[in-house]
Amino acid sequence: MQLSKKNKGRVGATLCLITANLFTVTGLHAQDMTDSTNNPSAQDSAESLNVYDQPASTPGTTTIDSAVLFYKEDGGRIQAIEPMVSLTHNTENDSVFSAKLTFDSLTGATPNGAAPWKSSQIFTSPTRQANGDDENEGSTGASGGTIVIDPITGQRTLEYTADAFMLPLDSGFVDQRTALDLGFTTPLTSGTKLSLGLNGSHERDYNSFSGRASIAQDFNNKTTTLSLGVNYEHDVSKPFFGTPTPFSVMSGDQKGPSQNKNVLSLIAGVTQVMTRNWLLQFNYSYGSVKGYQTDPYKILSVVDPTTGAPQSYLYESRPEKRTRHAFYASSKLALGSYVTNVSARYYHDSWGINSITANLSEHIPIGDLMYIEPGVRYYHQSAADFFTYYLPSNVALPLFASADSRLDSFNAITLSLSGGYMINDQIELYAMVDAYRQSKAGQKGTLPGNNQDLKLYAGTNALSMMTGIKIKF
Amino acid sequence: MTFFLPVMAGPKGFIKPMHKKRKPVSYLFMAMNSPCDIQVDGDDVHLARELGALAEAEAHRIEAKYSRYQENSLLSQVNRSNGTPVEVDTEMMALLTYANSCYELSDGLFDITSGVLRRIWRFDGSNKLPAEAEIEALMPLIGWNKVTLGKNVVTLKPGMEIDFGGLGKEYAVDRVLMLLAAKTDSPILVNFGGDLRVSGPRRDGSPWRIAIESVEPDDPSAATLGIKSGAITTSGDARRFLLKAGIRYSHILNPRTGRPVIGAPRSITVAARTCMEAGIMSTLAMAKGPDAERFLREEEMPAWVLR
Repeated sequence: MQLSKKNKGRVGATLCLITANLFTVTGLHAQDMTDSTNNPSAQDSAESLNVYDQPASTPGTTTIDSAVLFYKEDGGRIQAIEPMVSLTHNTENDSVFSAKLTFDSLTGATPNGAAPWKSSQIFTSPTRQANGDDENEGSTGASGGTIVIDPITGQRTLEYTADAFMLPLDSGFVDQRTALDLGFTTPLTSGTKLSLGLNGSHERDYNSFSGRASIAQDFNNKTTTLSLGVNYEHDVSKPFFGTPTPFSVMSGDQKGPSQNKNVLSLIAGVTQVMTRNWLLQFNYSYGSVKGYQTDPYKILSVVDPTTGAPQSYLYESRPEKRTRHAFYASSKLALGSYVTNVSARYYHDSWGINSITANLSEHIPIGDLMYIEPGVRYYHQSAADFFTYYLPSNVALPLFASADSRLDSFNAITLSLSGGYMINDQIELYAMVDAYRQSKAGQKGTLPGNNQDLKLYAGTNALSMMTGIKIKF
Repeated sequence: MTFFLPVMAGPKGFIKPMHKKRKPVSYLFMAMNSPCDIQVDGDDVHLARELGALAEAEAHRIEAKYSRYQENSLLSQVNRSNGTPVEVDTEMMALLTYANSCYELSDGLFDITSGVLRRIWRFDGSNKLPAEAEIEALMPLIGWNKVTLGKNVVTLKPGMEIDFGGLGKEYAVDRVLMLLAAKTDSPILVNFGGDLRVSGPRRDGSPWRIAIESVEPDDPSAATLGIKSGAITTSGDARRFLLKAGIRYSHILNPRTGRPVIGAPRSITVAARTCMEAGIMSTLAMAKGPDAERFLREEEMPAWVLR
């Protein structure tokens, strides 16, 4: 009885997949099909007529995808514009070549790590403007800093002021990033797929290079897929004014040389077709990061242990090793052209951060040519062991400390809505809106003294919008 | 699942769509030894004629390429190769790969090399069974595992033959439907000799009505199916069998034994998303003999079985 239950629908499920594959291979373009034939995750005899039920890739086609992402945090914090263009070519023999070029432009203010105080505070800007070479570099760092010239050394330092009672923000934050990603996937034998990739990105103060390889093997008539992947990344951090010594006093002086970081990641996954309309996926990933992981621009306030008044600002310090583990599970359930996506992720690292992510989205076809997909995501993380809002001046310095709000404990909810519309056989328009709201998890820290009204934590609220066009030929 | 009638209704003889309301425009032609019918739900006679002609051309293209009766077909080249590798195109390779998957999936019950058995098994309603030695002599020519598939090359052992009989018509129905559906938003029904598929519900949202005639010549109780999407095929034929010593030998042959399947239903009709899936499932259910119903139930396929 057990056995027959286990086998339930096995033949039909596999048949469904290989039939879908057949019509992909024999070259009826995806757009030519007005039912769910080509979608392994779609339900059988339901009335599905939506073009989005078809797979994205057709042999012998090339797809150009170009999109722009706008990201904006509330309260004049970070804003980003990210145009990207990608090219994907599916060859006749099932190989896929892809190239993607992304350009980011970030401006705005970001918390510098210092605690707020009842009077205004002055900080040294880490940006380069003070050196006067910003015109060449395209850096502006503009917003209202003051250039201070040391009368003895002639050294120019840019200073900025944080208002009283406000969480100090470094408003001179400007960055531009260019990234290129190249990928190649090819079947080795029937049922085995090899993927290779290279990625490089450049910012004025940060370069990153990575290479990846993964192999996927189908079993049980393609109902089970096991995959193994490895990724190696080498990053070089070369902060303006050099790398500060941990816990040294904030200054505009030239500091240490550039620093490296290496990341080795391994990922193992299994994808299982449960029935014709239900797909499960599990992943485990391991990451080992070694090298410089401190944020060279983030500082901590050293405060008076009784009044809470700032005494000095020190550069932060983080461990050089970080080991990460993540477990991920997802389920895709199709009812006709409606697809319900549920996923969960648990993450733990050696810095003491534990996080969970839960995600739910529903793909809804509208007519023949459109879909929308509303979704909601919940995220919670605990704080890193060495996270602290400030350092009391009467306590010996710990080995590591950071006031970076990204290492704090918090909750976040994201509401999203995406959609797409096929203008014709070759052109698709798509768009996405995300609203992100952070809130504090657990206890809220306060400064010593009678300073409960000084908020040490300012959760980020952000809105992102993306719009793009895909052209297939 | 829109419908699941476990057993007992009588299909085949001939399946034809039945409409009470406004009739769709029909285009008829012959291909693959079957009457073919393209129905377009709408009043545009010109469109129906245009789509019909397109369907006819595609059906003939597929027939000319995969028929084992046409000596110029690509399939005939393969069947005449006598052990030498033959280069085939992407489409044929995809079909062969598909057949390979079906063979593996069915543990050898679906085997496109088993057609040579028809040389000795003639299902004419008579009592002439082949001799044991005749069967044994053919068995070395049967077995998909003896076929070598390379990159765009297929190699058969000398004397072996491939027969797309269990796939070709179903493939043609799926292809034609997709081709036509890309040309028009009007609902379409493609029916090649009872293997049929619709593009979606009719214009008013109602299902296409398909009348299933009983195999019993004088049984007036014809079932009607409503189908809004997907495909229907039927395996089995009341008129094709052998009768010897009270045993009814169905025309479904087991490739593993070289003999007819014993205890198979007289006919099985299966509904699935595509004609190919429906066709394979009905053939496999047939090959399961007495276990046909159980197999279909376990696979959760909507099916109609006639014993």
